[in-house]
Amino acid sequence: MRYRSLLLKFLSAFILFGSWEIAGRIPVSFAFPTFIESMVAFWVLLVEGTLFVAYAETLKPLVVGVLISAILGIGIGLSIGLSRKFDWLVSPIFIVMQTAPLAALIPLLIMVYGIGLTSKVFVVCIMAMPVIVLNTSGAVRNTPVSMIEMGQAYLGTRLDIILKIILPAASPIIFAGLRLGVSAGFIGAILAELKITPTGVGDIISYSRSIADYPSMYAAIFSIILLAVVFLNLLEQIENILFKGPRQVYASE
Amino acid sequence: MRNTLKQLAIAATIAISAMAFSTSAYAGKIRIALSETPSDEVAAFFLALDRAKTMGLDYEWTAFADEELAIQAILSGQMDIGFGTPYSAMQRAKAPVRIIFQLSKLKFFPVSSKKYSKLQDLDGEPILLHSRGGGTDSIANVIEARMGIKFGKRSYVPGSANRIVALIAGQTDATIVDLSNKNKLVKQTGNEFNVLPMFEVDASDEALFANLDWIKANAKDVDIFVQALVSVYQDMHRDPTIIRRETNPDGPIGQLPKEVLDELDGFYTDAVAGGLYDPNGGGKKAAMADLEWYSNAGQLTGDPANLKISDFWYMKPLERAKQ
Repeated sequence: MRYRSLLLKFLSAFILFGSWEIAGRIPVSFAFPTFIESMVAFWVLLVEGTLFVAYAETLKPLVVGVLISAILGIGIGLSIGLSRKFDWLVSPIFIVMQTAPLAALIPLLIMVYGIGLTSKVFVVCIMAMPVIVLNTSGAVRNTPVSMIEMGQAYLGTRLDIILKIILPAASPIIFAGLRLGVSAGFIGAILAELKITPTGVGDIISYSRSIADYPSMYAAIFSIILLAVVFLNLLEQIENILFKGPRQVYASE
Repeated sequence: MRNTLKQLAIAATIAISAMAFSTSAYAGKIRIALSETPSDEVAAFFLALDRAKTMGLDYEWTAFADEELAIQAILSGQMDIGFGTPYSAMQRAKAPVRIIFQLSKLKFFPVSSKKYSKLQDLDGEPILLHSRGGGTDSIANVIEARMGIKFGKRSYVPGSANRIVALIAGQTDATIVDLSNKNKLVKQTGNEFNVLPMFEVDASDEALFANLDWIKANAKDVDIFVQALVSVYQDMHRDPTIIRRETNPDGPIGQLPKEVLDELDGFYTDAVAGGLYDPNGGGKKAAMADLEWYSNAGQLTGDPANLKISDFWYMKPLERAKQ
């Protein structure tokens, strides 16, 4: 079964890259390079070290933004999940944030926070925080009532119940929220580099585009997808290792 | 397993046919790709479109967020004709597109705080530009080559208006901006800032270009279009206020806020006086200036003397329009 799923993954990648190569060879557009050309450009960017320098720049707002979103987001999410009043007070903000057209808000952010790192961190937070908050609050609220009642029957204090029952029960979904938050943060970081000031990977994309070096442009885009996939897979593995226990308990319930 | 394969096959078929449909040719109206939303700077272009319409040209236009997107739309055949200076696309990506008309020249102005009073003062000093590889970046390269100086750290903020804000706020001491923003700066701040003297540039900032096969297949439409442009540009050089007077009040320019429309006369008077437009649509003179400029700027590779104009420009519509 394991091999079959691996085979299917390879097959799906083969179909995708195969159609990319064919589309590039037709060509659907002179601005659309083949898969092989893009991979050659990717290799050049890698060997020259351009990509590493660029990612050092791009990862700054991403890491800061995701850290802020994770810490604040889980805290706010917990409070929302535990208190109805807080829910009414705060949830709407995050629901609005999640649906707001971020690209259209960027000029506003530039006006308030300038063109530096702060604006970019904000963009990452706006993308990442709502997912984390809403997932956390949902997870807390969906803690099995029977387990909370059991805690109360054993005379657990409110703090005991939160720390020993609600948090462990909610953590798989909180972690899933973090994973979604990180992938949204990725989108935010790149969006900020394309829309605010072109630095890092956003700079490679806009520069290659303006000198019509389309293979490099697609190589940079490919590198973002690759990095995001690798990183998200890594988080998924960590998630599997961390939460194997509780999941099995639920399965046997 | 078999079911999954079947689903994959169906998905692939849908994806491929969707791609095929989206790029299929579209007959009838010519599709024009603008590199910016309608503003004072394209008022003359829209006036030419109005004239072309009365001469029988059927068109529709789409505004793109930036020049590169407009170029890409033409390269992929989703648009027929558009704005831009796709020199690197023509050389590097070997795109079979040609320029037929110079819409505006690269008239940009180095502006700075009182720290500097001439271009040479900027040797080793940081400067704020639009984007790496963009128009102002190429101007900076040419300034370096001609003045024998080397700028310090280049940082990038897209949009002349944003760079003016940064200059006024003291976030930078030197930047390069377009004509209308330079005028805005001078008007708002008097002589708090310096406009550094700059050499004459004949190279194109915006030019009209299209796929060569498409130009040849639609020679009649292209001729009407270029003829309308030449007539507007020549009339404008005789009397810049014609743009304001003849703008269709119900068109995309006529619908702009009154403050913008009131500025039109001033903008075109300044632009004509400052040589922003060539009344003859550029032609060979512009093409030669472009090859030299874009080679110096690093967008074209190879010795400019060995580059062939016919690989970049298609002169026939302009020649016919001037007859």
